[in-house]
Amino acid sequence: MAITLAESEALSAIGLEETVDISSAAELKALLVKALGAGQEVRVSLEGAAYLDVTAIQLLWAAEREARSAGVGFALEGPIPERVSAALLDAGFDRFPVPECAR
Amino acid sequence: MSMASNADQFKQSFREEAREILVDLEAALLELNENAGDRELVGRVFRGLHTIKGSGAMFGFEDLATFTHNLETAFDDVRNGRLEINSELIDLTLAALDQIKAMLEEGGGGAALADPAACAEILTKVRRLTGVTASEPAGEKASPKTAAATAGPVREWSIHFAPGPDLMLNGTNPLLLLRELRQLGGLSVKASMAAVPPLAELDPERCYVAWEMVLATAASRDAIRDVFIFVEDHCELSIELAAGSEVDPAANAAAADATARALDEQRAQGGGRRTYDKPDNATSLRVPAAKLDQFVDLVGELVTVQARLSELAARRDDPEIAEVSEEIERLTSSLRENSMNIRMLPIRATFEKFRRLVHDLARDLGKDVELTIEGADTELDKTVIDQLSDPLMHLIRNSMDHGIEPRDRRAARGKRPTATIHLSARHSGASVLIGVSDDGAGIDAEAVRSRAVEKGLVAGDAQLTESETFALLFEPGFSTAKQVTDVSGRGVGMDVVRQRVDSLRGTIDVASVPGTGTSVTLRLPLTLAIIDGLLVSVGDACFVLPLANTLECIELTRADVERANGKHVANVRGVIVPYIRLREHFNIRTPRPEIEQIMLVETEGGRYGFVVDRVLGDCQTVIKNLGRFYRHVQVVSGATILGNGTVALILDPERLAADAVRLGRQGFHGHTAGHPVVGGASRMGHGGKRESSQTNAA
Repeated sequence: MAITLAESEALSAIGLEETVDISSAAELKALLVKALGAGQEVRVSLEGAAYLDVTAIQLLWAAEREARSAGVGFALEGPIPERVSAALLDAGFDRFPVPECAR
Repeated sequence: MSMASNADQFKQSFREEAREILVDLEAALLELNENAGDRELVGRVFRGLHTIKGSGAMFGFEDLATFTHNLETAFDDVRNGRLEINSELIDLTLAALDQIKAMLEEGGGGAALADPAACAEILTKVRRLTGVTASEPAGEKASPKTAAATAGPVREWSIHFAPGPDLMLNGTNPLLLLRELRQLGGLSVKASMAAVPPLAELDPERCYVAWEMVLATAASRDAIRDVFIFVEDHCELSIELAAGSEVDPAANAAAADATARALDEQRAQGGGRRTYDKPDNATSLRVPAAKLDQFVDLVGELVTVQARLSELAARRDDPEIAEVSEEIERLTSSLRENSMNIRMLPIRATFEKFRRLVHDLARDLGKDVELTIEGADTELDKTVIDQLSDPLMHLIRNSMDHGIEPRDRRAARGKRPTATIHLSARHSGASVLIGVSDDGAGIDAEAVRSRAVEKGLVAGDAQLTESETFALLFEPGFSTAKQVTDVSGRGVGMDVVRQRVDSLRGTIDVASVPGTGTSVTLRLPLTLAIIDGLLVSVGDACFVLPLANTLECIELTRADVERANGKHVANVRGVIVPYIRLREHFNIRTPRPEIEQIMLVETEGGRYGFVVDRVLGDCQTVIKNLGRFYRHVQVVSGATILGNGTVALILDPERLAADAVRLGRQGFHGHTAGHPVVGGASRMGHGGKRESSQTNAA
């Protein structure tokens, strides 16, 4: 598992890799809070992710809802690995609960 | 605690629970071997396997889960009448349990200790029995869930599942439950995010998502509920037939049959639908044994310090300090009693696991043997129980191999074809007596003696009692077996029994009747940690006698001794009791006081007296090991540190009495109680308080 945050002047980029589950949920929440606190657009990359559990999904969903209400951009960047999207569909999320950014 | 260590903790908890389930499974399989038609036992085995598989997958033991799944399939087939119980399936499953046990243990490098070749062979044989081919992936076509789902009409079920706050914290992944549910049929799932709070308020380790699902399946409501078997108490769950769900009347009757069968199964279990429910959190708690040991060690230290405080308070003669000291003494005593009780465990699990050994050995030796158990609820200290398995195993192996005759010899002797090994346990004072007996051929005392002479263990003209002869069986390398078998005969096992029993400060007694059977009794201390003791002194030396053995205290005057003509016997209210002078036994060279005290103790060999100078009173005694140097001093079971910092030896009354009898040192031979003698004396209670009585020393 690896969670990274790269901040530039206009963008906060969060990268999720490998398995992101309850063991890293507290860390992910802290990074999301920090990224949203910066008040700039947030992009999340799942390209390197292998598995997201429900704690990661609900954190991303809550962060997106918060960003939307604050008028801050929040989107997924890059392709979602097939394994991740299939698992999400099985878990009843019709689509990833966070919109993808326009490519 | 970090989540990573939480995960380790969950895995460890799973291992512990799985080991317990394996013990129960083994017992159930062995019972099933005797009662193949017992549906309750089949259900018990199925649920055990199901639990191990389900929890194993949940906690990341994928190999274990896959392996167990195949066995679960077999027992699901048995449950549903598609497969018959036979000894091959029982033996295969028992062998599989050994592999599962090995999978639970991690090797030094984290590698599992199971034997892959053995696992593959077991699976091949199980699949042959169930008719499942190896190409059918576990968990799909062969799944018991799939099997359950293909019988009867397909109905639609509306399922609402909302994990509770602590569901994820106990290691459950709700997405895996959905995956398991999908095995039952077509599943449409809708996740609801309505309960997810604002980010700042969100507990990252809690699941706020709920699921609304529709499942099209032939499986029953119970089968669906079984998916949630481990989390039912930690979630909101409803399973309802969807409105307008089609039900074929004929199929409905079949489903009703299945339901009735399931209900019968439940009733047979005494109404509990889940055998392996976790214990109620409010009433029990799983604690690592090491923590408990540390706790008892600390209580032991506290007891020692408390003794120092009491000593100090007595010297200061300050009522305030004395009051605090007494209060602390009371509390320490309660704490000690409670902590020791926590460590007391029934011997049942230790006994029960030998059913498997007896089953396997009987098969290998071609003998019919049943194991009977008595006193399984007898409790003793966990540290003693932990060290009992090896000696019991060797005794049972020895009985099975050498004691119990082959079928034809039993028949010729008119004995029951099925032999019996009987394990028993009972309390006796501060000891517990563990018995291993058989109805076999008995021990040929003459053969034992000849062998011992041959090996140079005793002189050819030595006069040995039967007890001394049988004691030779426990000498290193001693064996009368004409041939060494895989089971025994190398003369190693009995030596191990003696070493282990010695290390526990126990004794071994063998009784045997040729042609009828043999009985071995291990006398072991109830605990190796802290006991209630009675502190006595002889000259400058202090000794502790276990309070559980002591009866009363009487005075012994010089006149009493003279009246007995130098014989070491006392008259206690008309009953003659032999006594042992600790002064002489321990070669203490201080002058005898005018009036001595006889502490009367109860032993297996009868009532004995120990003559001391003074009885100082009762004390909580923390047992300290004397170490290897004193390991041959049998009459002492340890030492303890007194409040003034000096050391007192803890005496073993059983061994002391036996030793004195053996040496004939005290001028008496055996228990002579029962002869009335005239006279008068006074006696003392345990606390050192004098009581009046008409007792005499003769």
